[in-house]
Amino acid sequence: MAQSLKRSLALWWCVIMFCLGGLLLIEAWASAKRSADQALDGQLEAASLAIAEAIQWPDGKPMLEMPASALQILATRWQERVFYQLIGAQGESITSNVQLPITSRMRTQIKKAPVFANIKLQGSSLRLHGREVSSAGWETQEPVEVWVAHTTEGREALAQTLVGGTLTRIAMTMLITGLILVFVMRAWLMPIRRLRQVLRGRKLDDYSALHVDVPSELRELTDTLDHLLERQDQHREALLRFIADASHQLRTPLAGLQNTSELALGSADPERWRQALETICQASGRTSRLAAQLLNLARLRHQVSQADLESINLSALVRESLMEWADRQQARGHDLGAELPETDIWLKGEAWSLHELIGNLIDNALRYTPEGTFITAGISRTADGITLWVEDNGPCTETDPQRWIAPFERAGLQGTEGSGLGLAIVASIAERHGAELRLSTCEPQGLRVCVQFPQGGADDQA
Amino acid sequence: MIRREPLAGQHSHCRSALARCVRRALLPLLLAVFGGAAHSETLIIEGALDRDVFEPVLALFQRNNPDITLDYRDRSTLMADTFARTAKSAPDVVISSAMPWQMALSNEGFAQRVDTEETRQWPAWAKWREELFGFTFEPIVMAYRLDLAAAMKPPSTHQDLLDLLLNHREELQGKVVTYSPLNSGIGDMLSQQDARYTPKMWDLVAAMGQVGVHESARSKEMLEGLSSGKYWLAYNILGSYAMVWAQNHPEVVVQVPNDYSLVMMRTAFVHREAEHPQAAYRFVGFLLSQEGQSVMAGETPLFSVRPDVVGPYTAQRLRDEVGDHLYPIPLNASLLAFVDPLRRAAFLKRWQETITPEP
Repeated sequence: MAQSLKRSLALWWCVIMFCLGGLLLIEAWASAKRSADQALDGQLEAASLAIAEAIQWPDGKPMLEMPASALQILATRWQERVFYQLIGAQGESITSNVQLPITSRMRTQIKKAPVFANIKLQGSSLRLHGREVSSAGWETQEPVEVWVAHTTEGREALAQTLVGGTLTRIAMTMLITGLILVFVMRAWLMPIRRLRQVLRGRKLDDYSALHVDVPSELRELTDTLDHLLERQDQHREALLRFIADASHQLRTPLAGLQNTSELALGSADPERWRQALETICQASGRTSRLAAQLLNLARLRHQVSQADLESINLSALVRESLMEWADRQQARGHDLGAELPETDIWLKGEAWSLHELIGNLIDNALRYTPEGTFITAGISRTADGITLWVEDNGPCTETDPQRWIAPFERAGLQGTEGSGLGLAIVASIAERHGAELRLSTCEPQGLRVCVQFPQGGADDQA
Repeated sequence: MIRREPLAGQHSHCRSALARCVRRALLPLLLAVFGGAAHSETLIIEGALDRDVFEPVLALFQRNNPDITLDYRDRSTLMADTFARTAKSAPDVVISSAMPWQMALSNEGFAQRVDTEETRQWPAWAKWREELFGFTFEPIVMAYRLDLAAAMKPPSTHQDLLDLLLNHREELQGKVVTYSPLNSGIGDMLSQQDARYTPKMWDLVAAMGQVGVHESARSKEMLEGLSSGKYWLAYNILGSYAMVWAQNHPEVVVQVPNDYSLVMMRTAFVHREAEHPQAAYRFVGFLLSQEGQSVMAGETPLFSVRPDVVGPYTAQRLRDEVGDHLYPIPLNASLLAFVDPLRRAAFLKRWQETITPEP
């Protein structure tokens, strides 16, 4: 399923907010509890102070008129249950309303500083506070421990109120950032939407560059799109030119056929008919060869896959092709020869297309050179890899033979019979093998066509 | 009628089988479930509140809840406290006028929260922790015999009373009675509260000691003494009892002190270990309801707290008559100071020392 930017952004936002919100909540809860404890510990302190204030030593014994206000302070406005115990120097309880679970550790601590602790009594949790009071008496000066405690309902209620407030604030913040995110997301995605609209509204044959106002991050994308469009435009142009050329090439021999047949039909001489039929036969042969080559070229435009490559004995292939051509009518006036290394050269390649490549090169050499020309095909190992070459010593006036590679170029010899596709096909095949096609002139005269295969293409296994 | 059609006959067979089934198995079960609930439930109330005063309220509750059998145990305040703390089977509801003791019971966890419509609506100043509910508003008064009015100017303030005791020591010898702080929770609360307001209270105690004051634990005993001529003057007596008594005993006059008059509340709570909590909630809810409070305002002298109740005995009416010198004893944690053992011991010691006439 396609990823939605909006959805993943929203998801991430939710995850972040969830984690952040969770952390904030934990923090809020802890700090609320702290605040509540601080606030109510103050009341514990006040109550213990009020009780301490009321202690007197009338007859050498601590005496206390329990201040009602101290208990009221201790109860807080949450109406806590309140407990207190006063302990004398010998550990005796002076007065209390309950036996508080005071540990000996607390009693040591209280000597240094007032004590706060959370305790359990009769199944309810209490907050305990104790302080030691030493007051001067005429007869004795014994310290008295004042312990006060109350239930924790008020703390919980207060903490809950505080957390509630924080929770509301967190929720509001999240809501606001969420809304902002939605708007920002819309604004961000606006250029993409614009681009989509532009692309959607485009005509099929419009290859001009896109003119969309996009942010710099998207500029790369539109540039790539523009580049692709340009290349497609070029490709289409080439295809159209090729089709136009091809149809032109096919029309000429077809028109010749029509002429010849019409002339022959106009005559009653069977000899003329025979001549015409021979001409037609030759011309249709050429035409079907042309069609075959066009088909090849179209086939070659597809990329070859590595699986189609096989190990090929290139030396054998060259020898075979030369033998094939030597037997033909066209080669009767020419001298075909081979220059092969002593060991066979193996190559990873596509057998049918390499066969076609060699054939085309020999065919070209035969076609564009006068009788008596030497045509040599050969293979040589070089530092860069393997070079397959075909060379002749025929006349050549072209200084830049490289341009003949384009389809329908015929070495300035437009009258010569031939499709003009030969070198184009060779170039395509070379490209399929990752090889480089080079045309150069020879000294004193002649043309040399080299197909330079890369090192990796060589197959030395045999 | 069923026999007319054979098919229906079969049908009826099935039906009667089902009916038998219901009769045999389901009916006893249903009876057990619903009959059990309808069966009478006992509600045990420990009440420091005279039954004959409280009877109209109990009777109405009984009428409204015929399924509940009331077991009302009339106690003194200290007895009620002891029973609430130590009784083997805890009472369901504890009612007492000794507010500090009730507060201490609640504070020590003997009460449980009651959450009914009435308790939620109850004014905050008359309840504590949703456990303890003050449901009456009773002024503390002086009462005297007409004989006293014939012999001297009857007192209308605390100062008048002090002067009277000082000036008529011989005539009043043995004729004055007050609540005992030693034997009665309410007496203790009233005298401690008095002592909180003014140290002159101790002059009054000393003066009462000089006339050989009687210390009583029950309002009724004081009122009977007034009627019989045993006592001429009763100080700190429950206004609710005294007012009803005075209606039938013309020789007794009730005086709400004109300087300040304490007001106490009877409080009720549902015991933590109540065996019949549902009945207890119903009873407490009833005490606070308009119906229950109306009975208190109309048929008992237990002044109703609710402002929406009309009758001769309501807090509102009392305020209108007496003015703004009513000082209700607040129902809050400060009451716990009264029951602090050390404070109480010191108070009683001082009381004893003060009230014993110097030789």
